[in-house]
Amino acid sequence: MNLGQAYFWICAALAVIGAVAAVAAKNPIRGAMGLLLMILSVAGLFLALHAQFLAAIQLIVYAGAIVVLFLFVIMLIGPAASTPPDKRGLPSRIVGAGIFALSGIGAMVLLVRSALAAAAAAPDAGTAPPLPPSDFGGIDTLGRVLFTHGLVPFELSSALLMVAIIGAVAVARGKQSDPTVAAKTAEPSKTRAKEIAS
Amino acid sequence: MLLAFALSPLLVVAIGALLLMLAEAFSKVRTGLALGTVVVFFAGLALSASVWLYGLESIPGLEVLAPWLIIDRFSMFMNAVLCLGGGLAALLAGGYLPEHKIERGEFYSLLLFATLGAMMLSASGDFLTLFIGLETMSIGAYAMTAFRRTSARSAEGALKYFLLGSFAAAIMLYGFALLYGATGHTDLAGVGAGVKSGEHAPMVLIAMVLVLAGLVFKVSAVPFHMWTPDAYEGAPTPATTFMAVAVKSGAFAMLLRVMLTCFGDARSMSWSSGWPPVLAWIAVLTMTVANLIAGRQESVKRMLAYSSIAHAGYLLVGVVATMKNPAQGSASVLFYLLTYTVSTAGAFGALILCGRFGAEAVSYEDLAGIGRRHPAAALPFSLFLISLAGFPPTAGFFGKWFVFRAAMEGGFTWLTIIAFLNSVLGAYYYLRVLVFMYMREPAAGAPIATPMRSGYVNFALILSAFLVVVLGVSPSLSLDVAVKAAAAFGGGAG
Repeated sequence: MNLGQAYFWICAALAVIGAVAAVAAKNPIRGAMGLLLMILSVAGLFLALHAQFLAAIQLIVYAGAIVVLFLFVIMLIGPAASTPPDKRGLPSRIVGAGIFALSGIGAMVLLVRSALAAAAAAPDAGTAPPLPPSDFGGIDTLGRVLFTHGLVPFELSSALLMVAIIGAVAVARGKQSDPTVAAKTAEPSKTRAKEIAS
Repeated sequence: MLLAFALSPLLVVAIGALLLMLAEAFSKVRTGLALGTVVVFFAGLALSASVWLYGLESIPGLEVLAPWLIIDRFSMFMNAVLCLGGGLAALLAGGYLPEHKIERGEFYSLLLFATLGAMMLSASGDFLTLFIGLETMSIGAYAMTAFRRTSARSAEGALKYFLLGSFAAAIMLYGFALLYGATGHTDLAGVGAGVKSGEHAPMVLIAMVLVLAGLVFKVSAVPFHMWTPDAYEGAPTPATTFMAVAVKSGAFAMLLRVMLTCFGDARSMSWSSGWPPVLAWIAVLTMTVANLIAGRQESVKRMLAYSSIAHAGYLLVGVVATMKNPAQGSASVLFYLLTYTVSTAGAFGALILCGRFGAEAVSYEDLAGIGRRHPAAALPFSLFLISLAGFPPTAGFFGKWFVFRAAMEGGFTWLTIIAFLNSVLGAYYYLRVLVFMYMREPAAGAPIATPMRSGYVNFALILSAFLVVVLGVSPSLSLDVAVKAAAAFGGGAG
């Protein structure tokens, strides 16, 4: 095993540990930390694939913004965030999880078997993948692809961001402008606006 | 320039949405937003029709957009159907939201952007644009479901829809990733070629199951239908109309395009080792379960939600019929989508018309005796329900007729018989509304429903009633258009 393989296995193992911790942890803060570990290890895997820009974005967006946001929410909600154990529908939940796990394991076995069969059929194929060009995964290559080949989906994704923003505003603003609730809440805010104005 | 013309239905909806949003934000006048939205939708409809008539064959340079967006007759037809559905939903919103005092400008922007997402979805030829379109459509629909924020029902429906929808999207994305791994392509045609070559068979099979699960969730077929009644019931009725009409049409366009392009090879489309038997059994389950549950509902809105699930089942019969003859099967699905759009939008519109602020008509009891007191509201309702049940001479009859004929000619006699029995079963709960409207009187002391007044809703009802009758009396023109639109899939079964 060379150094590259060791790096891969360490990152992959940490990612799996983090993912399991994120799902299994009883304490929500620990869950968020597990998620953070998973995100960091995946960023490490991206680095190994010559995708430096993707690794940096992974750190900035996921580790920097999203996990911090999770922690804020958990701290705002406080200890009430940990729900009491729920025993309702336990048998059906176990059956559902069992079916899901079985089909997942079955799919994985099928995949690995076919990959092994393919490797046995062509022993030299896939042993030495070609090295990517030196500027692969850099920010300028990515930008060039984004604004030439991928211009159409790039523009279309602006509609996706727009609808997400409008949707968030629509749902968040719904409480204030409902006539049944507005009667109670609108008055104080109006007087406060007047106070600020005067 | 001609390229912009070919894209004009998408562009007009996108630019119209942005302009209306700015107008709403910077102007003091609050009226006219609904009118503007309706105008944008019907402009999109008119532009799709004019691009169709101009002929896409004579527009050069469409391959620049490939593989991201495929502008063909199929996507033009879907643009027209989606703009019609969105326009009808906007008309209903123009009446419903002010009446129930929840009118805020965001609703119209969401409606426009979600329709734009559905149009992208039906035109996309690559998994990337497909997913962007799907999410644009779905996020708009989630937000519209949660629009009545203070209602617990609305919040419950929206949360269920959001969580399950996100899981379904994630499962589908996993399928896309596996397909990319197996074939090295993200464009549908490239994936189709890779699947046809038959390499990586188990990986493709697993990917197909995952993609199919996501697609079937979006068309709300059994067993992935659990979110539908709650989301449809909790959402404001115009949003329900949009979900039943435009989201379902977009999802079926995606289903047809993905199944026939990616999995359109002889092996994947065979009965012994492909997807048709899976979809056939899902269709049988969907129709039967939805019709049985719909008959037991006490809320008309919930009944219409189950009815939309049942219609997804009939549509899936048409999708299964593509196994033998892709062009005929998809033409029947497209025509059915058109008839279903006008009938369903009309039925929800009539339900809106029967209620007013603080007394929304929801249950069968609410509608009791309305046929005698307000025949102008009950008459269109009866027409749309008869169309949904599939009686001649309405649009619904020919929609079902062509789907069943495509299934018969494809050799699926047993499936056609089950679908026919199901439509007989479905007539029971549609006619039950008529019984309540014309033959019952409201219970003593019960609140008596009075219809609301709104020019928007009236116009929507007149328009959809006109289309229901026209499509029912002379379906040949629109069927011809649907056949031409489906010709894109003519050579699917190689």
